[in-house]
Amino acid sequence: MSATTHGLGCGVVLGLVIVLFLQQVGSLDLSDLVPALEYLIVGALIGGILGALIGWALGRAYLSHQAASEATAPSK
Amino acid sequence: MRPSRERARKSIFAGALLVLAVALLLVNIPTQGRSSSGSSFVLQTGAGTSYIVTWNGNDVSSYSTVSAARSIDFTQSVTLEYNWSGTAPVTISDARLQMYYFGFAMSTRDQIVTNPVAKASGSIPLTWTPISINYVLEGAYRLTASFLAPNGTTMFSENFYVRGNAPLGFVALVPIVLLLIAIYEVYGILRSGRYAAIGRKPSAPPPAAPPASPATEPTAPTEAAEGGSTPPSEPSPPASGGSS
Repeated sequence: MSATTHGLGCGVVLGLVIVLFLQQVGSLDLSDLVPALEYLIVGALIGGILGALIGWALGRAYLSHQAASEATAPSK
Repeated sequence: MRPSRERARKSIFAGALLVLAVALLLVNIPTQGRSSSGSSFVLQTGAGTSYIVTWNGNDVSSYSTVSAARSIDFTQSVTLEYNWSGTAPVTISDARLQMYYFGFAMSTRDQIVTNPVAKASGSIPLTWTPISINYVLEGAYRLTASFLAPNGTTMFSENFYVRGNAPLGFVALVPIVLLLIAIYEVYGILRSGRYAAIGRKPSAPPPAAPPASPATEPTAPTEAAEGGSTPPSEPSPPASGGSS
């Protein structure tokens, strides 16, 4: 599993949870099936895209940081 | 390694396209297929009969949108009054209140009239205490108040919205669980950078193979093979008579 796919998975779950949470605080109506499914799919889609982007960026940052620390480490 | 990565990329792209297509299809569902939120409908009414449902004395038609939802406490009992009046007599046998979540009736309350008779006007009181969900759910919900005829047809139906508050404001189980999941997933996203090291190829060759085994070890299977019946896992038998 790469950083991008891990971020994607977390983002999808987060998008779904945010939609359900907004209903619980009274900001969203999920009484009818069709708009409720639309909200969930759109939330999962946006969350997945944002999560994948964040995961990709964090993965690159982590790898570059690791490479830099390996290069500066004293050779044994 | 590279073809598998390209295959994974293609499958992710295909999955994203599929999700997008489903979302577009759902958005393009005709409006008549959607439920009529916040509106009333009459299937069969007597001529000039008007129906009014009141919630603790207030007409529920004023709560027809989510933004105008009536704020309620799930632990408190409410009284709904189902009134109808007109010139032609109608027979109402059941006053029904339903609460919807994802299109399904989460809660149904019926006030059945015993021996209903046709009347030009009438009133059916209905009391409802949604205490069974007060520690589980909160938020905005659509309720439907219906007048039913003895044969089961809906004479009149009206949708309205309520905003249920949990006891002490924020003690319902579902929002707390959702909040915990959201915090965990945000933490997961912030830690996702470390997963980049898992799929990475090591830059240096792997460490050398473990130290070579003793030189006598490779000869052991041949000795065992010569022995015939001796299994390879067993230690080689001591040399008998050949020790001199």
